[in-house]
Amino acid sequence: MPRNNLVRVTLIATLFLLLPSGLMSQTRMPQLRFTDRTLPNGLRILSAPDHSSPTVAIQVWYHVGSKDDPQNRSGFAHLFEHIMFKSTKNMKSEMMDRLTEDVGGFNNAFTADDVTVYFEVVPSNYLETLIWAEADRLSGLNVDDANFKSERDVVKEEYRQSVLAPPYGRFEYLLQQKSFLQHPYKRPTIGSIEDLDAASLKDVQDFHTTYYRPDNATLVVVGDFEPKQLDAWVDKYFGPIPRPDRALPRVQIKEPARSAETRVTEYGHNDLPAVGLTYLTPRQADPDSDALRVADAILSAGESSRLYHALVYEQQLAAEAGANAESREDASLFVLTAVLSEGKKPEDVERSLLAEVKKMQEAPVSATELEKAKNQIITDQLRQRETSNGKALALGEAAVLLGDPARVNTDLERLQRVTAADVQRVAKKYLTDANRLVLYYLPEAAKKVNNGSPDGDDLLERARRAGK
Amino acid sequence: MNKMTSVFGRSLLLLELCAFLVVPLEVSAQSPQATPPPPAPPRSVEFPKPVEQTLANGLRVIVIERSDTPLVSAQLIIKNGGEVDPPELPGLADMTANLLTKGTQSRDATQIAEAVEALGGSLDSGARWDASNATVGVMSAKIGPAMEILADVVRRPTFKSEEVERLRQQYLDNLTLALGQPGAIARFVAARVVFGDAPYGHPTSGTPASLARISREDLAKMHERFYRPDNAILVIGGDLKSKDAFALATRYFGDWQKPMTAIPVSGAAASIVAGKPGRVVVIDKPDAGQAAVYLARIGINRKDADYFRGIVANSVLNGYSGRLNQEIRIKRGLSYGAASTLDTRRDVGPFAASAQTKNQSGAQVADLLIGEIERLTSSPPSEAELTPRKAVLIGNFSRNLETVNGLVSQVSSLALYGLDLNEINRYIQNVQTISSADVQKFAGTRLDAKGANIIIVGNAKEFLPELGRHFQNVEVIPVAELDLNTALLRKKKQSE
Repeated sequence: MPRNNLVRVTLIATLFLLLPSGLMSQTRMPQLRFTDRTLPNGLRILSAPDHSSPTVAIQVWYHVGSKDDPQNRSGFAHLFEHIMFKSTKNMKSEMMDRLTEDVGGFNNAFTADDVTVYFEVVPSNYLETLIWAEADRLSGLNVDDANFKSERDVVKEEYRQSVLAPPYGRFEYLLQQKSFLQHPYKRPTIGSIEDLDAASLKDVQDFHTTYYRPDNATLVVVGDFEPKQLDAWVDKYFGPIPRPDRALPRVQIKEPARSAETRVTEYGHNDLPAVGLTYLTPRQADPDSDALRVADAILSAGESSRLYHALVYEQQLAAEAGANAESREDASLFVLTAVLSEGKKPEDVERSLLAEVKKMQEAPVSATELEKAKNQIITDQLRQRETSNGKALALGEAAVLLGDPARVNTDLERLQRVTAADVQRVAKKYLTDANRLVLYYLPEAAKKVNNGSPDGDDLLERARRAGK
Repeated sequence: MNKMTSVFGRSLLLLELCAFLVVPLEVSAQSPQATPPPPAPPRSVEFPKPVEQTLANGLRVIVIERSDTPLVSAQLIIKNGGEVDPPELPGLADMTANLLTKGTQSRDATQIAEAVEALGGSLDSGARWDASNATVGVMSAKIGPAMEILADVVRRPTFKSEEVERLRQQYLDNLTLALGQPGAIARFVAARVVFGDAPYGHPTSGTPASLARISREDLAKMHERFYRPDNAILVIGGDLKSKDAFALATRYFGDWQKPMTAIPVSGAAASIVAGKPGRVVVIDKPDAGQAAVYLARIGINRKDADYFRGIVANSVLNGYSGRLNQEIRIKRGLSYGAASTLDTRRDVGPFAASAQTKNQSGAQVADLLIGEIERLTSSPPSEAELTPRKAVLIGNFSRNLETVNGLVSQVSSLALYGLDLNEINRYIQNVQTISSADVQKFAGTRLDAKGANIIIVGNAKEFLPELGRHFQNVEVIPVAELDLNTALLRKKKQSE
């Protein structure tokens, strides 16, 4: 079992953090100068030399994610990502770990709703080795049934560890699942045990054939390398991989707009109830994403944020409160969550969350808050872009999810121009009553007081009474 | 898959033609696809060169300009840490440093947090062996206000009682957690066994008894004695000009008065008055699910001429593909992972090799640890084994220097130990030149396993009989009688 399984599963969600960010008027923002090249077989290569440290980051972005899971195979894209660390034509199982960790580097991968990304950071003199290795696993897998089944068991353990074991793991799972009615985003990336059990070795071969092809891949290389040498290595190892003549399947389903509030109550092994609100927001590439990101920071970044100050510090209704402008390629969510303090009622917490939403709609945020939010977002972005791996992530995201690698630079400027009026406008436009899903996640113990009525509202009412 | 494979096979010819263009001849003799291409020679880069000035009050200011990202990190280091904890007050230096950000004469803890958040930055403080520090990181445009906050917390902390109590409780909670774990107990015990009652022997995070004793006055006194400009170094790195950095240092730290008293002499072990080597200590913890096994002995100090031989020798043992893990995990499945550390400090620090294993295997793993240290001398690494072990060191070093924080920490550490700051530009070369013979010599002269101590924390009855057959001098201490406040490691009878 690879030692970095844990990291792999935690990375599923990190793409939400990679939103583009902006520019402060008083700070000169670094421009990432990159080269954009496409091989005859369709492989796109984005590269940016940076000789500040003798390391190099190599990433391969496959434009396939959990939204592309085959029918009745939810979780398959993520399972497949694990299989990519098993044997290939020329590499033994887990050889990628040896090629990186044993020379002072590291490697990992993550699966999100829209993409699957494999990455390595190694001392720069090992660049050719890793180009060879990535080309090798794009060329073909060589996985047997025993290998497949053992890795499938690993992924099932991850499901248990990330969804079932943490007290609020299933809460987050349900928030996504209940928030989409039509779009395959309604199947969270980790999938389900039944669907994973149904997957077979044949599915692995079909999935590789369908999606792992040079014209569905973007190679990103950032760090200490010579461009001519990189081009020669890419031509040598990736060039001969043929482009299939089949069409690439793409998700066509559109998530319908919401027309009325939806309320859901679920039960778990949490000690304290949790409340979640989600609002359907546009795709990540939409210009409104920047103002929503700023709204998220004003609501939730740090102890001086509005939600922490109101719900945790002042009213002491919640142990934790947060917001998240989750972004996805086709449709996004603006999420507010709170875990209740001992003895508090979910409806009071919901009311307080809604009061903060209303506050944001009725008055513009203050200049101080706006600047603080931008400072926080931009500093995070700059920190991410200090490393070669971080720069490569930003570049890959702009190219694959935003459709234009140049947005790695322009989006920084756009975020800088977000005004208090923009924040108010997007709050009014998207955080509406009709566009809301409300999820109450209550302790299983609260359900036991009910005598079997399947009616959720009734259950909830009884749970509330029991809590008094 | 079959289809892909056959297509791939056809393209082999093409690839071999290409191979002549870019690959040396001897490599192209075999198919370039079948095995990974070998590494090129390591590339060298020039890291920025630090510049420095000393202010009139004795504060040493070091600046490293790096303009590629508009971020700045500033670290104020006090040249003493846990080693100056009074013998009865382990944890004092660490608590003192931690409390810096919890209130000053002009801001309470919440206001400090809010001020830093408004800048979009971060502020951390803490102590370790040989140093205490406070660090801010912000966008370069915000470095002025950030330096004001840094100076405020370093110079004017108030050590308010409620914050002291809050932190004391946190430390006690963490310690309670640690003292339930065989690995943490073994680490604490190993320090006492190697250093006895000398500095470096106690836990920097305190003991339950010492944490209970530390008073607000002790904290204020520690701050008054050691937090002074002539016992401090300010390192500023990132996207700003050195003249601006020196001006900021002067503005916020220039009027920091140097006391008339002499700088306190570092309490570190001027000479190692360590306990006699060769102890075999068992802490009997009958409910332990696993045994933690430590081999520990004195190592070298940071300025030792053998430093680079030492870190390469340690790298041969340490890491996933290092020798300890090869023998203990990969070959025998006795542990999830085995590791070694060569911790170099102002004075001689410890060398330790360790692994956790099932209780029954405790004695066997102790033998394997000793065996692997000895094998460094009897069977030094081949070139093929040594090259990747050196690459691990170089890779970690280089990745660390990618960030401004990493760069500042590295330079701070060199400054703290009085080393040439431009060593960052020689590190890679220094590691490269170490040979197998160097590793062998270092292991033979500096890591002799015969001078090492063995510590095992676990369910003693499972491994004691076997351990007794290998060692004659086994000391067994029930965990309930363990006292980390003394080299004897046992509570005195009358205090029970």
